[in-house]
Amino acid sequence: MIADSSLGGTPLLQVTDLRRSFGGVHAVDGASFVVRQGSITGLIGPNGAGKSTAIGMIAGAIVPTGGSIEFAGRVVTREPAYKMARRGLTRTFQLSSEFARLTVLENLLVAAPGQRGESLWGAFLGKPYWRRQERALVEQARDLMSRFAMTEKEDEYAGNLSGGQKRLVEIMRALMARPKLLLLDEPMAGVNPTLAGRIAAYLEELRDGGLTMLLVEHELAHVDRLCNPVVVMAQGKVLAEGTMAELRTQREVVDAYLVG
Amino acid sequence: MSTAYQFYISSLLIYFGVNILACWGLNLQIGVTGIINFAFVLFQAAGAYTAAVLTLGPAVSPADGGFQSYIGGANLPFPLPLLAAALVGALLSLVVGVLALRRLRADYLALVMLVVSQIAVNVVQNQNSLFNGSAGLSLVPEPLADFVHLAPLSLAYQWFYAGLTGVICLIVYFFVHQITGSPLGRVLRAIRENEQAAAACGKNVFVLRMFAFMAGGAIAAISGAMLVLFIGTWAPAAWLYPETFVLLGAVVIGGSGNNLGVMVGALLVPVAFLEAPRYLPPIPGHPELIEPLEWIITALLMLLFLWFRPEGIIPERRRLFPGRAVPARDPREPA
Repeated sequence: MIADSSLGGTPLLQVTDLRRSFGGVHAVDGASFVVRQGSITGLIGPNGAGKSTAIGMIAGAIVPTGGSIEFAGRVVTREPAYKMARRGLTRTFQLSSEFARLTVLENLLVAAPGQRGESLWGAFLGKPYWRRQERALVEQARDLMSRFAMTEKEDEYAGNLSGGQKRLVEIMRALMARPKLLLLDEPMAGVNPTLAGRIAAYLEELRDGGLTMLLVEHELAHVDRLCNPVVVMAQGKVLAEGTMAELRTQREVVDAYLVG
Repeated sequence: MSTAYQFYISSLLIYFGVNILACWGLNLQIGVTGIINFAFVLFQAAGAYTAAVLTLGPAVSPADGGFQSYIGGANLPFPLPLLAAALVGALLSLVVGVLALRRLRADYLALVMLVVSQIAVNVVQNQNSLFNGSAGLSLVPEPLADFVHLAPLSLAYQWFYAGLTGVICLIVYFFVHQITGSPLGRVLRAIRENEQAAAACGKNVFVLRMFAFMAGGAIAAISGAMLVLFIGTWAPAAWLYPETFVLLGAVVIGGSGNNLGVMVGALLVPVAFLEAPRYLPPIPGHPELIEPLEWIITALLMLLFLWFRPEGIIPERRRLFPGRAVPARDPREPA
């Protein structure tokens, strides 16, 4: 059952009948949902529900076996990850995926789009060609680090950070790309409650600033606080959609997920 | 300094230069981008053969007294054979890269590279008409000898060639330094650390890895070309797969990811370390033991570094940016 598609905002991401099989296993089996502009849409479900596979397909890392994905008014179903990122759809990963032997600042700089010094000719022309842009990007990255209270870690190798700090680096890195849609795959997993609370507060701030997000999360208190609407997946299908309060009243959702 | 000693020193310098070039190429692939290329010596060989057959004149048939058969024989003046070698190194990398880089995980890629290296040796050994088979090519003329009015094989020419190798090293250093010191180098290092995350940052990982592979292949070919134009001979025995591991040892020991570090590695492993046994007294009753010992000690040294100092003698430089709000810590401090 797909409910309440009347929540505000125009659709930024539209997933229709999305499918992905691994051998005989239907990891995602005809999932359809919408992420609206300016919302944090939650994606919840028990382990093995197909959430991460769905995120992987939306981000272009996994090729769907069926269905379609429309992003910002364009069908992008089989576009590779780097093209999706260039279109403004960036993601974080379920497992920490920092660039371990790059500093925190460098991790952020990598994600900035359209860098002059990233082309072969730009590299050859040398610093005079890309220095000014690099300085502006460093400032932008420092603003982000300051906002996430990570300024002191600027020169630290990202691999040396704690699990929670790595999550922050990933979120900051995704924001450096100035995304239209941010996919967050369990950003609070394995993070201590204090830092998880801080991450939730940051996400609220980003939402209030107008950023659209799709959040996969197991900790329902965070989902309750941040997400509207929430999409519930089970066995590769979308079981229900609505606010957390609405979902708590739905028997099949409660049976499938909300109680053990 | 005696003439013999000068010959020796200038030869060492040329070998050093050739090995520096090779190590920079390998470092760009393995150290910077994380592409495990166990076939590196194949690209060096491709450059050597290309430079040799383009410098040699047309092959003379055995009926007319010729003793080697090969393709090419264009008699081109320097630096055209060198440039052609770089091009062939890059194109061969493109072909191997298209087959191996797109889908294979690092460990499978390493295996494929090893196999490719072996196949290439077999093909060249058994196809006499390509590069004269197992016997290899010889009497490759010294480049620019007429131009600088120096007798080939003379001491003066040898010093000239050492200088020429130095100039090529400077040019290649400029090339690799511009890459590794730029945002392009940063992206290559990011790919080394996590390909999936780099793709999620909008980077076309396949194209960037291919670029590093081709650039490394071209540099490998240049090093091979400079070597063959110096020693005048090139045969399959010179590029068996263990040769890659000598260069790999230099990169690991010197400091993977650091152009200066691998330069130190190139001085230590292929030059100093493999040269040292020359000065050792023969082992009584087992004079043949010295050469295998070189390999054993090189391998042990590499293992020791991988265990106890994987970052090498001069580790990859931590990139700090001016104007930071907090003072930079010493990068060697533990976090």
